[in-house]
Amino acid sequence: MSQSWPYYVIGIVGLTVTVFATRSSFFMLPARYQLPPWLESLMRYAPACALVAVIAPGILVPGGHVDVGWGNHQLVAAVASAAVFVRWRNMLATITVGLLVFTALRLWA
Amino acid sequence: MQRTSTRGLFPPMERSAFREGVRVMAPMGLPVAVWGLVTGAVMVNAGLSVPIALQMSVMMYAGSAQLATLPLLVAGAPLPVVWATSLVVNLRFVIFAAASRRAFVHLPWQQRLIAGYLNGDLGFALFTQRFRNATEHGNPEQWGYFFGMNTFNWAAWQVSSIVGILLGNIVPEEWGLGLASYLALLAVLIPMVRGMPAVAGTVVAAVVSVAAHDLPLRSGLLVAVAAGVTVAMATEKWRHRVQAVAA
Repeated sequence: MSQSWPYYVIGIVGLTVTVFATRSSFFMLPARYQLPPWLESLMRYAPACALVAVIAPGILVPGGHVDVGWGNHQLVAAVASAAVFVRWRNMLATITVGLLVFTALRLWA
Repeated sequence: MQRTSTRGLFPPMERSAFREGVRVMAPMGLPVAVWGLVTGAVMVNAGLSVPIALQMSVMMYAGSAQLATLPLLVAGAPLPVVWATSLVVNLRFVIFAAASRRAFVHLPWQQRLIAGYLNGDLGFALFTQRFRNATEHGNPEQWGYFFGMNTFNWAAWQVSSIVGILLGNIVPEEWGLGLASYLALLAVLIPMVRGMPAVAGTVVAAVVSVAAHDLPLRSGLLVAVAAGVTVAMATEKWRHRVQAVAA
């Protein structure tokens, strides 16, 4: 492991707190507290932005350098994968196709 | 609406409703198990030890937040950045909680805490759909259905994650399991990107996150979220104004 175990243990305990704080949030508050509309929009858009901000560098910055060309096998695999998901909405097919494309490119391209 | 005993971790449930919940969730068992298997395997493959990966899976029960924070943890990012990232990814659950609270607000606190914890993406969608015309909120039928679905989902997720964690080290690194985690997140992301504000926000967040990938302390992600949310909300406001003018 690259980090010390207390770092992970404390980190994961804190992460669990964030899960409870969000999932149970309004279940714990008295009914008079409502979600203001502006906060609801913020909360609607933030998770998608966070996910894309994890995915985009993960796929487009392999090995520390930005690569948005066809030579980036991860990018090609992700595009194929996204197309499969949009068409069939099937997680298993999505991941399988992506990994197959990636492996094929790694072996033959 | 009924007041119930303050003891116990679960509210009273109708047996038939619990079984109905399990039946409704059962077909999702396979996709959930695939997602759990991948998450488990990716955690170990990325460098977490088996006990740490087990702790993460059992405590968090949040696939997208687990996969999103994994690269940060492995890189040793400051913990407040890790926590903030998870918080942002999980903000959608605050909306779920606000939307489905009526059936739970009168329960004792420990039952609400557990119900909230189990209220994931799938269960929330199915529960909302099933009781959208209900006139009474919070009864043993609804609780039975809710916990039937969500305990099944929890078990399917945990079992498959544990299998993934145990298998993770066997999978060679060249197979690209790291990529698998991004592909799984892509499948979570795509259904969220509906409507112009969401499209504009995610495009901006994507560009900023790549441009800011080497900011210190791995703070690029949070900068990207701030930029994306600002653009999404501005787009929403602008669209309302355009609609108001048109009307």
